[in-house]
Amino acid sequence: MYQYQDFDQRFIDERVEQYREQTERYLRGELTDEQFLQLRLRNGLYVQRLAPMLRVAIPYGTLSSRQLRALAEISRRYDKGYGHLSTRQNMQFNWPELESVPDILGDLAKVQMHAIQTSGSCIRNVTTDQFAGVADDESVDARPYCEIIRQWSTQHPEFDWLPRKFKIALNGAASDRAAIQVHDIGIRVDRDTSGNVTFDFLVGGGLGRTPAIASVIRRGLPEPHLLTYLEAILRIYNRHGRRDNKYKARIKILVRAMTPEAFAERVDQEWAYLKDGPSTLTAAELDRVKACFAPPDYPDRDDQTALLAEQRLKSPDFNNWVRNNVSSHKVAGYAIATLSTKHPGVPSGDVSDAQMEAVADWADEFGFGEIRISHEQNFVLPDVAQDNLYALWQRASEMALATPNAGLLTDIVCCPGGDYCSLANAKSIPIAQAIQQRYDDYDYLHDLGPIDLNISGCMNACGHHHVGHIGILGVDKKGAEFYQVSLGGDAGDDASLGRIIGPSFARDDVPRVIEQILDVYVSRRIEEEPFLSCFRRIGVQPFKERVYAGAR
Amino acid sequence: MPVLVKNLEIVDDPWTLIDSSDKGDPVPGEGSILSFEHWTSRAHATTETCVRSLRSPGVGFWVDGEVDVERVCDHLDGASLVAVKFRAFADGRGLSLGVLLRSRCGFTGELRAFGDILPDLAQYLHRSGFNAFVVENHRAAEVAIASIQSITDHYQASALQPEPAFRRISARG
Ligand code: SF4
Repeated sequence: MYQYQDFDQRFIDERVEQYREQTERYLRGELTDEQFLQLRLRNGLYVQRLAPMLRVAIPYGTLSSRQLRALAEISRRYDKGYGHLSTRQNMQFNWPELESVPDILGDLAKVQMHAIQTSGSCIRNVTTDQFAGVADDESVDARPYCEIIRQWSTQHPEFDWLPRKFKIALNGAASDRAAIQVHDIGIRVDRDTSGNVTFDFLVGGGLGRTPAIASVIRRGLPEPHLLTYLEAILRIYNRHGRRDNKYKARIKILVRAMTPEAFAERVDQEWAYLKDGPSTLTAAELDRVKACFAPPDYPDRDDQTALLAEQRLKSPDFNNWVRNNVSSHKVAGYAIATLSTKHPGVPSGDVSDAQMEAVADWADEFGFGEIRISHEQNFVLPDVAQDNLYALWQRASEMALATPNAGLLTDIVCCPGGDYCSLANAKSIPIAQAIQQRYDDYDYLHDLGPIDLNISGCMNACGHHHVGHIGILGVDKKGAEFYQVSLGGDAGDDASLGRIIGPSFARDDVPRVIEQILDVYVSRRIEEEPFLSCFRRIGVQPFKERVYAGAR
Repeated sequence: MPVLVKNLEIVDDPWTLIDSSDKGDPVPGEGSILSFEHWTSRAHATTETCVRSLRSPGVGFWVDGEVDVERVCDHLDGASLVAVKFRAFADGRGLSLGVLLRSRCGFTGELRAFGDILPDLAQYLHRSGFNAFVVENHRAAEVAIASIQSITDHYQASALQPEPAFRRISARG
């Protein structure tokens, strides 16, 4: 993990005091609500429907056991004893007092954490593959580059007041677990034939009101040029992105208006001035940051195929868990365990202080003290010895963190929606809960196979419904809460946006609609064909016919 | 009363903003800040800049933050001040303009921000090449100066500090 040096610590401490002073000025009436809004957003503080909401950055989803314990402590001291894992590798607290936020930020700074730029029209927390550094299909660990971008984008003199929020994601593995095609900038990290690190830049993807798949504007950019090329893109966007209409202000609109080719050309013209300038990365800096992410000293182990087979045979529940929640590790004898927060009756991503502390303990006991947060709002333990999986599973079961549904229908990605969010058209949590309660038979869920179900409470698409194999969007129909269903979205390598199947449904109707969609899939699939492939083969029509049968 | 901060100090403002409707005046006086249209339409009547005394501030012009940078670059000759108007404090276009005027156009005169300048924007202005800005009142000026000084050092290269931290602080101790 990255370790702050004196420079980083001084910056973060001074930034906390800067925010404290801003809060004090607001409380004294020296700043208007509108002025303070912009300042608090840049420190992650929203005012939500019921209370302020503080969004803490978990840079690229990596944190230490010590940091997770600090989050548990914060949730106890300033909140109601729980936090919420967001879809962008952040942790949100829903009940802090505005007055105590500077103290919370001070506590975070003590463990090298912050809430800087987790909201507002600026460069947001950079995200990546939750399995970075341990995945067996990885060519380059993207985390050092994420950290370099985090530092570069933190209180940037020129790019903290952009037309709109700006999200950057990196991925260095064969399969894209960071959804780089639906970000403002997606960066594919790879190696050229001589083994040098290069970057492919994708620009203009995004969800929200106008979902779009990103266009590649540059391939094979050599490693040292990462920041100068980013600067060129951001400058073009900052100068030319629309500011007259917030729904047209994201970079995707600019890229589309200019065409990706013309946009790429503008970036190249700008980059010509910056290339090889002082922001070009030095070998010393690259080495320094990479050293922080060097793999731990893995004690030699062998794969435990026989032991696991025996344990799985004995316990069907463990078997289900291994099948879904355990991923292969690049080092023999180790595994990656996903601890699902999607337990029936619990809102997606909500975790208690006790759960956080338990996960921190397991990270120390069964790993090297490191935890990851996934976009699917789950915890990940990246370095579990295979012969410890059974013990981990038992403990996780006791803490309601072993639901064996990672990647399955009930591993629902869901935004806070109308229960918490002031922008919502409709509630989203009750929909997720209704579906989770209905589908609690894991044999059936496994038989259905991988299905991403995503729910957003409004067009802002925090639940990423456009890229759910099944997407559900809360809409407002003459003041009533309705839900629009789309099918066929995907955030992976072959990214696609879902297609709306037709008119929206009342809340009580949604479980019925999901059931009919699944019925069509089960009856039409060929052998082991996953839901998404089946949909792509047969199209939307059979689903439509079934769901709206008798409606006309 | 608006207050001018220049080079981190509160100073009297020797400049006067001339409204663009005053185009009739063919030779604007010393210390005038003309609109960009007025400035460019002066048919290069810059002889007066050759004879200006050392004490006087010269002439300058003001532009909106969203103005085309290339156009401004082409008309910097003879200007000792460029003022950039921020129509809204959250509009960062003026910041990029400042960076480009310094780094690409080589402008070395006074670069001033005015308009909707929140004191908390000053730290960004300061690092984007602005050496002067106008805020609402004395209190705002003090807050702005303090906010600039509240962070000792930043990660990035900037108009103020051409080298990023990683090049300046070896081993970053
Ligand atoms: S999608 Fe809408 S309702 Fe859900 S959290 Fe985002 S803004 Fe709120």
